[in-house]
Amino acid sequence: MKPVKLLVVEDDPALNEQLALLLTNKGYEVDRSYDGDEGLTSALTQSYHLIILDVMMPKRDGYAVLKNIRKTRSTPVLMLTAKGAEEERINGFHHGADDYLTKPFNSTELLLRIEALLRRSGGDPEVAHVAELHFHDISLNKAQRRATVCGENLDLTPIQFRLLWTLMLYRGDVLSKAFLYQTVLHRTLGPHDRSLDMHLSRVRRKIISAGGRGEALQTVHGEGYCLS
Amino acid sequence: MTRRLLWKLCWIIGLGTISLFYVINIITSHTEDGMSYIEIADRQQINDWSTEAEKLYLSGDKQALKSWLDALKFSEKTWAGVLEVDLNQVAGSDMPGSITDGVLLGRDVSWKIHLYFSDNPIMEVTFSDGRARFLIQLPDRMRPGSHLGYVSLALQIILPMMLLIPLTFVLYNHIMSPLRRLERATRSFSEGQFDVRVSRAMGRRNDELTQLANAFDSMASRISELIISQRQLIADLSHELRTPLTRLEISINNLLEGGQNSEEIQRVDRESKNLRKLVEDTLTLAWLENEERSHKGRQLETVDLVDLMDVLLEDATYEFSDRRLAVELPESAPVKRSNHRAVGQALENILRNAFRFTPARKTVSVTLAEQNASYLIFISDQGPGVPKPFLEKIFRPFFRVEGSREARGGFGLGLALAKRQLESVNATVYAENGEKEGLRVVIELPKDDFSQQP
Repeated sequence: MKPVKLLVVEDDPALNEQLALLLTNKGYEVDRSYDGDEGLTSALTQSYHLIILDVMMPKRDGYAVLKNIRKTRSTPVLMLTAKGAEEERINGFHHGADDYLTKPFNSTELLLRIEALLRRSGGDPEVAHVAELHFHDISLNKAQRRATVCGENLDLTPIQFRLLWTLMLYRGDVLSKAFLYQTVLHRTLGPHDRSLDMHLSRVRRKIISAGGRGEALQTVHGEGYCLS
Repeated sequence: MTRRLLWKLCWIIGLGTISLFYVINIITSHTEDGMSYIEIADRQQINDWSTEAEKLYLSGDKQALKSWLDALKFSEKTWAGVLEVDLNQVAGSDMPGSITDGVLLGRDVSWKIHLYFSDNPIMEVTFSDGRARFLIQLPDRMRPGSHLGYVSLALQIILPMMLLIPLTFVLYNHIMSPLRRLERATRSFSEGQFDVRVSRAMGRRNDELTQLANAFDSMASRISELIISQRQLIADLSHELRTPLTRLEISINNLLEGGQNSEEIQRVDRESKNLRKLVEDTLTLAWLENEERSHKGRQLETVDLVDLMDVLLEDATYEFSDRRLAVELPESAPVKRSNHRAVGQALENILRNAFRFTPARKTVSVTLAEQNASYLIFISDQGPGVPKPFLEKIFRPFFRVEGSREARGGFGLGLALAKRQLESVNATVYAENGEKEGLRVVIELPKDDFSQQP
């Protein structure tokens, strides 16, 4: 299988080194840049599956780099942002970043975000044609957007339907929150954001009150959700 | 010149009052003068009566004159008569004819009438022979100055009022317009617009109020400097801490993944997570304290408290699996125009606190009750509780009760954060000791936060 190429743009040399080491150990092929100008040149001349871009950098900051990349490329970009003052502003921010990760973060968080972004941008060609899904006594019909539990209608909002659909489509897999935010809510996971968890809780409650096995929607703490 | 405003007021009020009195006096006497004369038509009427009386007098028919006079007296309800005057000199030198000819018993019709005398004056018209005269007490209907009461009311009250009200208005505006500017500036300053200054808007004015404006400006500069440098410090500090913390976490991860799993490394891992939590909480707290309360950038949303509680309780029971949990939640508890991240963080901190102080195999109970316009959430633990004097202080940053509740991990930021997060969505929180044991935290959330613009 072709190796996945990543670009890390981070001005802190030690962190840049660590990120590269971490990602190389996970089997990614990693290029490194230490400032915005250098990063922009690499991003535009080479072809990457994903770019990890720090926001606060000397010379040209992350948003300026992203704006330039977006003129010609649609490579997925994961921004590393600062927490605090910028955090709230990012909510309304549409610079074209695919996801944000606030510092400080740990390896697990970073790897989950990267996997989610790659999974989304790569796409699963065969799943697009699936029209109906069944799991024990739960059935979903995509065209009619209809959900039933033990033959009884289950009243779900569009978001709740998409969430259940995604979990049933990838049953058995642990789906990271970052991935579910991208595919179900079509946005990025912000700090302290519990929207997805709340939707999941509601779906679980609805399935249980309809007599289904709601507990099949399992929480995998620190990682995400899984239907099994 | 100091006290310019004082001098200005002295001039305006002093000079103004004197000229007001002066003007009113002139107008009053002028008006009264004008009102003291008998109307031209009435004068003519008296002269006509005199002519009639003279005709009757000259004809020598005294009976006719008497009955005519009686008729006049009756019709005008007054007194009238014809008098012959014979001036006899008793002693002294000869009087000039100008005096003896002009002697009158009554008043000439062209003279002013004393408006302040209650009795009507006697009017006199000399017949052409210069000896006999027609005398009549002025009939009431001819007395001038009947509107004197109204006129003096107008002159003494309404006229001064009409002059004083505009003057007061001018003075008020003169003092209030800079004060209003100052008020607007203070309001914008308190809303976080630190660059407002007032002295520029004062124009060429230079008095006590501009001194006040200057004092405001220097205060504003000083405070905004402090706030801006404090924010800058927080921003710098947070940025400087974030990157090394990330480096530390990734290093520890690499060590753990590389199989180095000694107790020491796990300890370092725990400590680094604590450090990260401390930094995050401090930054959030600073952010909440620094930003204005309106949270303009914040998304407003409808939050179902039951869903949020489910999520938080699931996390908490996972983390504190040896504690028991008693939950009473309705099927649904929607809150409008709120923010689930603020409410969620607050409830999470309060729950975490309750679980941390509850010993293993003891129970944390969570109840959600509905009221008319709000929801009440009760979170009770079976921990040691808090001495009464500290029940309010536990919501202060870094506050920890000596003895009973210390040394359980945490930095004393959780409840402080929770309180501020809840205030940002107009919710309130307080703590009380349970009837038998433990601490109970009570949160009241409005069902719809009307203070937020849709």
